[in-house]
Amino acid sequence: METSRDDFVIAIRSALLKKGTQQRFSLLGLIFFSITFLILSSLNFKFINYIKIGINEVVYRSSFIVSGPENFIKNNYIKAQNHWNLYEENKKNIDELIYLRGKDLSQKIITLENIKYKKLIDDYFVGDNETVAKVLIDKQSPFLRSIVINKGSKNNIELGMIVLDEGYLVGKVVEVNFFTSRVLLISDINSKIPVSLQPGDIQAIMSGKDKQKGILQYVRDKNLKEINEDMQVLTSGSGGMFKSGIPIGKIYTDQNISINKNKVVNFHRDFDQLKYVKVVSFSKEKNFLDFKSEDDAQKVESKIEESNQQQETLRILLEQKKIADEIRVKIQKENDFLRNERVRLKNKILDQKKINQQNKIQTEEMKFLQMNLYYGHKCKKRALNNLYKVGSAEYRKCVLNKALKEKNE
Amino acid sequence: MNKIRKNNIIQSIYKYIPVTLLFISVLNEFDFNNLGLIYFSFNFSYILIFYYSLKKSESLGYIYIFIAGLFNDVVVGTPIGLSSLMYLILCGAAAYLRNITLRPNLIKDCIFFLLTILIINSILFTTLNFIFDYELNYFDQVINIVFTFLFYFLFSNLFDFFEYYLVGRNNAG
Repeated sequence: METSRDDFVIAIRSALLKKGTQQRFSLLGLIFFSITFLILSSLNFKFINYIKIGINEVVYRSSFIVSGPENFIKNNYIKAQNHWNLYEENKKNIDELIYLRGKDLSQKIITLENIKYKKLIDDYFVGDNETVAKVLIDKQSPFLRSIVINKGSKNNIELGMIVLDEGYLVGKVVEVNFFTSRVLLISDINSKIPVSLQPGDIQAIMSGKDKQKGILQYVRDKNLKEINEDMQVLTSGSGGMFKSGIPIGKIYTDQNISINKNKVVNFHRDFDQLKYVKVVSFSKEKNFLDFKSEDDAQKVESKIEESNQQQETLRILLEQKKIADEIRVKIQKENDFLRNERVRLKNKILDQKKINQQNKIQTEEMKFLQMNLYYGHKCKKRALNNLYKVGSAEYRKCVLNKALKEKNE
Repeated sequence: MNKIRKNNIIQSIYKYIPVTLLFISVLNEFDFNNLGLIYFSFNFSYILIFYYSLKKSESLGYIYIFIAGLFNDVVVGTPIGLSSLMYLILCGAAAYLRNITLRPNLIKDCIFFLLTILIINSILFTTLNFIFDYELNYFDQVINIVFTFLFYFLFSNLFDFFEYYLVGRNNAG
């Protein structure tokens, strides 16, 4: 027993203290060093922070370079995949475009109305700082999902700024260096965002779940009735961390069986494909409802009026178009029917004409046979005269002439 | 003479391949995130460090491993020094196994590797969760451990092949 413990101690001592060939530091020394590093960094020790910033700048740039081949393969893979899906996507996009065009004008009106009401309740935010940044590293490990962008404190990036991709919320800035910054994605389990679910105006807190999904963790009202339609997830603006109304994702209908359970939010943006993002900060509009803002309100009002008129005109035009289309279809149907009728009658007339022709021929034949009885002997060829052979055209002419002459006399 | 010199250059390039792979893996992360697989990820650095600490301790210097850990912390965003500590514990475990092993065996190595990564990830999880207030997905970590363990078989054979046929030293295991 004693020997076995000695062996264990010797093995451990050898593993931790003995410097191998080409090893300048013992393992134990380095372990202590890293623990010291960890403790000092957690205590925000200045010297460690400087080292950290230095390493950050070097590593972010090198990681961007090292990720080059991987990004190249990834981009090509995505390109090829997009190419294959192009036809289906195009068809879908056309349908969507038609649908969205119709909705566009109504949305404009709603936006203007929204601005007006927000101004009234003093909750209107305007973008005061906007920077476009390139994504340097998008290493979203299973443990932490974050990206590093190529703008830092040099470009007036500050902690807590919102990061958007084409208007959709992506995350917020959690670490700022001189040239670079780290953005915590909303898909990270550590990001807690106050959200509002529409329709229903349900308030909740959303946390990240996995790459494309978030989860509703705390819903304010536990006894909500079921809502059987897709729900939009927007920032609620509670806590003043984010501006309200930034779109995040969607909860699909089949998931809305009961809202008080953990619900999955499907994000609008694909965080694996972020290339450029917009870093923005918002602040409240300075002017309140004084004379100047009343002018503004009037301007907004007139804009809404104008848009309403436009929408009304558009509605009438659409209605007229609908009626015109209906009439056109009706006329086309009638036209087709008449065309068919015309063809049918034409055929009928042709048939009748044929019958008439036959009747005429028969009548003439009857007339000739009748005349033949009376005048046939006067035209018939015999041994002593030089008249016509029975059945020949001359004979027929002769018989008819004789009949005509007789009639005239 | 030229041939000997050329061979020496190639040998020194081969010698630095594990270190290069380690730095590429921490800067680039071989965790298959880009394929969009939800339930798949593994830690290539753990496999590389454990294998080379166990089989060829002179290939990966502890100081390189320490620096790689710092880089990994910066890339992933964990508190600086944490990954270094994990990597060095892994090295310590590998060195201990090397000292007590008389007849090397892949299955035994794997089981020891599994035990070590379980301990390391437990320490990581505890430290991040309770000391630094990071919230981690427990399920993701378990998946990561399982796949890292499974991939050890594959990469161990690949590294054996590399050491045996390319580096040409038949003492890789």
